[in-house]
Amino acid sequence: MMEDLDLLKKDWKKNENSYQQISEVDIYKMLHKKSSSIVKWILIISILELCLWTAISVCFNTDDYLKKIHGDSYLIYFKYLTIFNYVVIAVFIFMFYKNYQKISTITSTKQLMKDILKTRKTVKYYVWYNLGMMVVSMIIGFVLAFSLNPKIHEITCNTKVYFITIVLCGLFLILFVGLFWLFYRLIYGTLLKKLFKNYSELKKIDL
Amino acid sequence: MSENLEQSFVKQLKDNQNIIHKICRLYTSGDDAHKDFFQEITIQLWKAFPKFRGDSKFSTWAYRVALNTAITLYRKSTRSISTVDYESHSFFISQEEYNTEEEEQLKLMYKAVQQLNDIEKALIYMYLEDKDYNEIAETLGISEVNARVKMNRIKGKLKKILNP
Repeated sequence: MMEDLDLLKKDWKKNENSYQQISEVDIYKMLHKKSSSIVKWILIISILELCLWTAISVCFNTDDYLKKIHGDSYLIYFKYLTIFNYVVIAVFIFMFYKNYQKISTITSTKQLMKDILKTRKTVKYYVWYNLGMMVVSMIIGFVLAFSLNPKIHEITCNTKVYFITIVLCGLFLILFVGLFWLFYRLIYGTLLKKLFKNYSELKKIDL
Repeated sequence: MSENLEQSFVKQLKDNQNIIHKICRLYTSGDDAHKDFFQEITIQLWKAFPKFRGDSKFSTWAYRVALNTAITLYRKSTRSISTVDYESHSFFISQEEYNTEEEEQLKLMYKAVQQLNDIEKALIYMYLEDKDYNEIAETLGISEVNARVKMNRIKGKLKKILNP
């Protein structure tokens, strides 16, 4: 076997200078071509996600509804919640930026993979945070609607209707979160498949 | 300034391009894949170039970035055409005549190496380039002892592929 590898090495070295050479002009051209690296794709998708969720959380305004159903006394709590939300968004964007900046092809392969996955995770947590907030807001919204809105309050006197409404809301939430989960598996599953495979291969070596 | 940087980069890459060609050879089959991969590595090298301090050789720096591109960043599958014979690689111009037996053996060897996974190829590449285990370990981010162990396993794996 050693013989084989030595033979290969000999051949490898012998043919070292036998590759078709690329001219300086062609290298110049290559510099201005677009990269198709996964880091670029992760950056694009992540920025889209950050924008989308920030937009949703900004647009998701409960103030008007609360005023309509005379829940003004709760407004102050929602103000705090909104401020808290903005702080969290800012922290996430900052963390994403920091992690993204850290990605460098000069580090070791393992570190590079770790840094990419860390950047990815930041956005993942951000999405989970937003999904969580959405669920919490929905629950609070339902509770408030049930207790404050006189029309809905009437309905709740009927336990059967009350029960069905709750079940439907629960199903809707599960469907909603499930769809998101599926969407994620699809996008990142295909994008990061190779990275995960090679990462686990590298980790196996050091076991 | 940036033009100077570009000039210096292009010149150094042109002089050291065989490093990249060799990595392309291990990770791809066929001219188009070779060119496409060469281009992606060039882009990644250019992106990282401002951070290249010159405290290591350009060649050392370049092969690390290239391997990282192959293992981590390159999105297209580099392993899809592993059954193509290495002669079809017209990028690679055979110089001398081999004796037939040796030639046959080499053909099988190259084929076997093509069947290895991305990490194993990286180790084989560094082995063929006479890198020591310290450098291999550092490049991949694994321990030196485990790099040795892995290398032995790859040798075993190649043996198995060659003599099933």
